Amino acid sequence: MNIPTWLDALIAAMLLIGAIVATLGSLGLARMPDFYMRLHGPTKASTLGVGCTMLGSLLYFSTSGEGIRVQEVLITVFLFVTAPVSAHVMAWAALHRRVHCSANTRHPPWPEMDRAPVTEHAASSAPAGDKESAD
Amino acid sequence: MTLLWIPLLTLLGVLVPALTARRGRGFCTLATVTLPAMALLLTLSQVPALLDGELPRVALSWIPSLGLDLAFRMDGLSLMFATLILGIGLLIILYAHFYLSAGEPYGRFYAYLVLFMLSMLGIVMADNLLLLWIFWELTSLSSFLLIGYWSHWTDARKGARMAMTVTGAGGLALLAGFLLLGDMVGSFDLGVVLSSADVILADPRYPVMLVLVLLGAFTKSAQFPFHFWLPHAMAAPTPVSAYLHSATMVKAGIFLMARLHPALGDSELWGWLVTLTGMTTFLYGAWFALLKTDLKAILAFSTVSHLGLVTALLGIGSPMAILAALFHILNHATFKGALFMSAGIIDHETGARELGKLGGLRRAMPITALLTTITAASMAGVPLLNGFLSKEMFFTETLDTALLGGLGWLLPVLATLGGILSVAYSLRLVHGVFFKPAKEVPPKSPHEPPRLMRAPVELLATLCVAVGLFPAALATGILDLATRAVLREPLDFHLAIWHGVNLPLVMSLAALAAGITAYGLHSNIRHFARQFAPIDARLVFEGTIQSLVARTQTLTHRLENGSLQRYMSLLLGTALLLATLGLVELPELAGDKPTQPLDAMLVLGSALMIFAALGTAITHRYRLISLLMLSVVGLVVSLTFARFSAPDLALTQLSVEVVTMILLMLALFFLPQKTPQESSASRIIRDLVLAGTLGMVVASLNYAVLTREIDSIAGFFIANSVPGGGGHNVVNVILVDFRGFDTLGEITVLALAGLAIFKLLNRLRLFMPHSDGEGRVWSPDRYPMILTTVSQALLPLALLVAAFIFLRGHNMPGGGFIAGLVTAVALILVYMARGVEWTQNRLDFPYQPVAIGGVAVATLTGLGSWLFGRPFLTSAFGHFHIPLVGDIELATAMLFDLGVYLAVVGATLMILANLGKLTTPHRPTKEAPAVSRKETPAPPSEEAPLILDTEKSQRPSKEKA
Repeated sequence: MNIPTWLDALIAAMLLIGAIVATLGSLGLARMPDFYMRLHGPTKASTLGVGCTMLGSLLYFSTSGEGIRVQEVLITVFLFVTAPVSAHVMAWAALHRRVHCSANTRHPPWPEMDRAPVTEHAASSAPAGDKESAD
Repeated sequence: MTLLWIPLLTLLGVLVPALTARRGRGFCTLATVTLPAMALLLTLSQVPALLDGELPRVALSWIPSLGLDLAFRMDGLSLMFATLILGIGLLIILYAHFYLSAGEPYGRFYAYLVLFMLSMLGIVMADNLLLLWIFWELTSLSSFLLIGYWSHWTDARKGARMAMTVTGAGGLALLAGFLLLGDMVGSFDLGVVLSSADVILADPRYPVMLVLVLLGAFTKSAQFPFHFWLPHAMAAPTPVSAYLHSATMVKAGIFLMARLHPALGDSELWGWLVTLTGMTTFLYGAWFALLKTDLKAILAFSTVSHLGLVTALLGIGSPMAILAALFHILNHATFKGALFMSAGIIDHETGARELGKLGGLRRAMPITALLTTITAASMAGVPLLNGFLSKEMFFTETLDTALLGGLGWLLPVLATLGGILSVAYSLRLVHGVFFKPAKEVPPKSPHEPPRLMRAPVELLATLCVAVGLFPAALATGILDLATRAVLREPLDFHLAIWHGVNLPLVMSLAALAAGITAYGLHSNIRHFARQFAPIDARLVFEGTIQSLVARTQTLTHRLENGSLQRYMSLLLGTALLLATLGLVELPELAGDKPTQPLDAMLVLGSALMIFAALGTAITHRYRLISLLMLSVVGLVVSLTFARFSAPDLALTQLSVEVVTMILLMLALFFLPQKTPQESSASRIIRDLVLAGTLGMVVASLNYAVLTREIDSIAGFFIANSVPGGGGHNVVNVILVDFRGFDTLGEITVLALAGLAIFKLLNRLRLFMPHSDGEGRVWSPDRYPMILTTVSQALLPLALLVAAFIFLRGHNMPGGGFIAGLVTAVALILVYMARGVEWTQNRLDFPYQPVAIGGVAVATLTGLGSWLFGRPFLTSAFGHFHIPLVGDIELATAMLFDLGVYLAVVGATLMILANLGKLTTPHRPTKEAPAVSRKETPAPPSEEAPLILDTEKSQRPSKEKA
């Protein structure tokens, strides 16, 4: 194991950043006030956090004598491809369901969007409104 | 080999009528007669060999592991019966030629008749108990066809069913008896069985076996109390009755008793059972023959009675009794065959069978009257006819037997009583039809039948007289051979008409005189009998059968009431019981093997799995959440496989998990998102207790198994994987090579399941929720851009991965099954992202041929090894050098794996794509009303869910508005 110190430091930094971002993402998932904000946490954690960790791993194993490793690259690529898709579909579903958002959320997609928790009245009025507009 | 030709010719004879039926009736009859006639000649050609004391025999091995050989013998008994079967059978065919009316399908009738002939021949010639039993069952089947020949008539169907049920049930008892017998002797070979009487009689299971065998014989030969099927079988056309109930079917039971007499007959039990049953039947049948008014019913009950007589003789079992029994079999076949045919002629020419409607026919049909009188006199036992001889021998034997001890005088008295009755009913038959003045005009004007239709009757009646006059010259030869076969030693006897004035003669004469008197008092007897409520055997039988059916249905409904919970609880309860019993027997739970050390990952993984499993159960009323929990369980399971060095399993589990989740999601669409609470508290407690205990027991069982050294076959597979299968991936080599046949079966089942689901989903119309659980209609946006783009980009990559997994399968984790699932998942992703319609425009082929083709490729690969003279599914492998690529190993197993791959892809897509398609096509849309089904009233704003949507339109509701 003859990894130069600077590289060692770089790898350590990568792992550390990855870990911090993952922790922050998890915290965000747990603590953010509404769904739309909570969605930000895991997306950052799965892209930036896992990405940094993978990069660290890639550097470490590629320089420790077994040649260039591609597994990490592949994992990262697949993660980068799939994470946005799932986040996008989730956000989209939330918008469709008109999941309520907190007062602090900026730029609501439509002005009448509920800012209070969904009530029975609000839920049952949705199809009626839709039917009206359809007819 | 000549012997083999006798049944074989008859077997071929079954096809002849079917083939020649179109050529006209005369030709068909002639052609049908040919092969059985040749068989009869062949049978008779065996006589010289038999006279020399030989035993012609042929045996071919059939299923040696069961002790079943295709073995035939031709001893004297077989010869006698085979001659009867073929000879009378030929006469019957000739008779049926005239009897059946023009419109009836005579080809079918002849075919059934020859089939029946074949099965009877098989019984009498079989030299192996199991073979005998097979032919025995074949007679039940073919007689069912014959009795029910007029299937448009409910009596025929019921009679056929009754005969089939009774004789079939007897056949099962017989099989049980034969199996016991074979077990006692150690062989099913008839020769061995017949010469092991000592072993059989000494065996403690002898009584059980005897009762079972006799049950078979008694049901077949219509002995009391199983006699009731025979009168109802009279619903058959008369040629059938004449054949089945004079010479063949009912004689099969008699034959069996005669055949097995050397082996089973030398015991008190045999004597009591057989003689008493025979005597009871003899009297019972005779009494009812006297009371019946239908010609065929009289004959049917008289047949029952005479069968009882023969049975009683066989029960007495002395050499002379056996001789008398065999002689009476011959005589009964001749006179009863003739009488049945006469009854048929009368029925045919007058249109009536009731004694009340007939009378005075001697003027219209004098020759038939003469023939019937002769044969009926023979049945009554009038001197100078053959029936007299054997009946007198019967009287002699009842006098001589020591069977009943102090009550020994009872037998001759009962025999005389039976004789009186038989004289009375014979007299009544003849007098009532031909001599008594007619009460009413028969439906048709009576006249003599065609010359050739009468010919069989004439022949048989002549035989009656000839044998009656010259018994020594005509009957001694064949009876000598037959008794030698039963007694296994020659018997010194001579048949004569006159034995001087002795007790049997007095009995005969007394029976004659009393019989005539009894007929004179007939009206009084009938008046007396009318006091008893008649029992209709058919009603009793049908009632019994129906109550049996009702009872079994009640039981079935109790066990199988359509409740899945009930099935599961029964199944799990049984498993619990068995596993608990096994576990309790263990001295201690833990075995000798040390457990593996526990690390953080294991703890975390198992905690996650337990949490998710509990979550699945707890949230089961919220289906989506429950499903997500279930997928967590699946993922952790696949991680567990990976952790414990089973990469193949891990890969399979992962891909199966994905496919299952998609399938469940699709199914979920049709279900409500929440279910109400349906189970009562007590039920929940029952389920919890059951599930909890079963979980604990199974866990303990696993622990017990895993902590013990097990001598499994894994070592063999690991050692032989490379040398035997040419692959380093043992799992894959097991799948495609060692256990290739199993895999072939599995992919066949998979493809069939796919086809079945495809067929079931075809045109299925399910309820389509138009909104989610909270009443929101489905989203109008169908195909999210990002998903569409990514899925298209991923498709080639995923296919590449599938190809990679497939190719490395033989040596590294992978294989056709996993590759197939990966391919299917990749394609399903495209379906989800772009909709069924878009995708099917591009994947322009049905999936059914893919799945079937996969099974075909695998099967053909297996068959290919036959070309090289190897067993099915032998695989070959070798190393090849390919330029640029280098050394490469190819195995035929890979071709087999390709079949697996195709079958999996085809079946999975067939299921998923069709289930997905189901959510769309019949759904009305607002913007294309022409597409919508008129009969589907649906809310106008109904929309499909996000996934698997075919409608290409982006429903612009504003536009429409």
